[in-house]
Amino acid sequence: MSADLPTVAPEVWTWLAIGAVALTTFLTRCSFILLGDRVRLPPIVDQALRCAPAGILAAIVIPDLLLTHGKLHLAVDNFRLMAALVASGYFVLTRSMLGTILVGMAAFLLLRWGIG
Amino acid sequence: MDSPSTFQSAESGTAFREGWRDFLGVTPGVAAWGLVTGVAMVQSGLTVLQAAGFSILAFAGSAQLATAPLMATGVPVWVIFLTALAVNLRFVIYSALVRDDLRAEPWRRRLLLGYLTSDMGFALYVRRLRRDPEWPQRAAYFAGLAYANVAVWHGSTLLGVLAASWFPREWGLELAGTLALLALWIPLCAKRSGQVGSAVAVIVGVAAYHWPLRLGLLAAILAGSLAAVATERLQARSAQVSR
Repeated sequence: MSADLPTVAPEVWTWLAIGAVALTTFLTRCSFILLGDRVRLPPIVDQALRCAPAGILAAIVIPDLLLTHGKLHLAVDNFRLMAALVASGYFVLTRSMLGTILVGMAAFLLLRWGIG
Repeated sequence: MDSPSTFQSAESGTAFREGWRDFLGVTPGVAAWGLVTGVAMVQSGLTVLQAAGFSILAFAGSAQLATAPLMATGVPVWVIFLTALAVNLRFVIYSALVRDDLRAEPWRRRLLLGYLTSDMGFALYVRRLRRDPEWPQRAAYFAGLAYANVAVWHGSTLLGVLAASWFPREWGLELAGTLALLALWIPLCAKRSGQVGSAVAVIVGVAAYHWPLRLGLLAAILAGSLAAVATERLQARSAQVSR
């Protein structure tokens, strides 16, 4: 993987990546300010931007929870998955971000130190 | 072109402070989010300086949480860029909605305030405007929300970044960041398009997990988005037909 990269310190690549992410923040949040008054958001695009985030976030969050070392691990000893399920249940009941994080981490740490 | 700002009057000062106070009311949730993001970034492999710099420059919690693990494992910058772009896409809508309200401000302030848009700040802004959609001081109110957000976010993120170094990486505390993203995702599954999009994203994400350069992640993002949009449009079409 690093064979085709030029011989630059890894640190530089990290800062480049940070800059890239900052650029996406700027481009998206300032998009319509930059585009000026005459550009309007077509309803189709608006609709797409509204319902896409569900799929996007699922792609980012879920597969990592279901897999351990690259293999599907749908078992009680997948502590991260178990903690996520507990946290999800809590969130559905309370809608509290703070509580969800605390409950989920408590479940995770209890499982890890109690059993694992 | 510089236009006269609405920020010069006494009323705008009041509106600014109201925005500031309203945002501080939701500090616990935002501070938890910031703390968790700080911890998760460092536990994913970023140094304290990188994590702090990342937070200040990017100012986008979910994008930071999604891409920090990618940075530590040497994923190419263009993949990270596209992933962050996908996560931040929802802000394009916010930008479209806020643009008109900021129109009276000088362009530098418009860009700054736009940059400081956030999910929570925007939600509070919309709620306040429902009472008074034509409020002349709404730009100042927006600014009050934005600046309070900066204070709470950077304070808590920095705390998280510093505290993270006390905990060994084997503890796996970056799970907290995942849980925070989970809390963002769950409400989006109330709609059928969210459910279908998520299911497709997970299937593709698991199947393509071993692709190089984390391209499986991008494929899952793309597949999930397309599936969600397709579901939404099919539903709209069948609703029209049955009328």
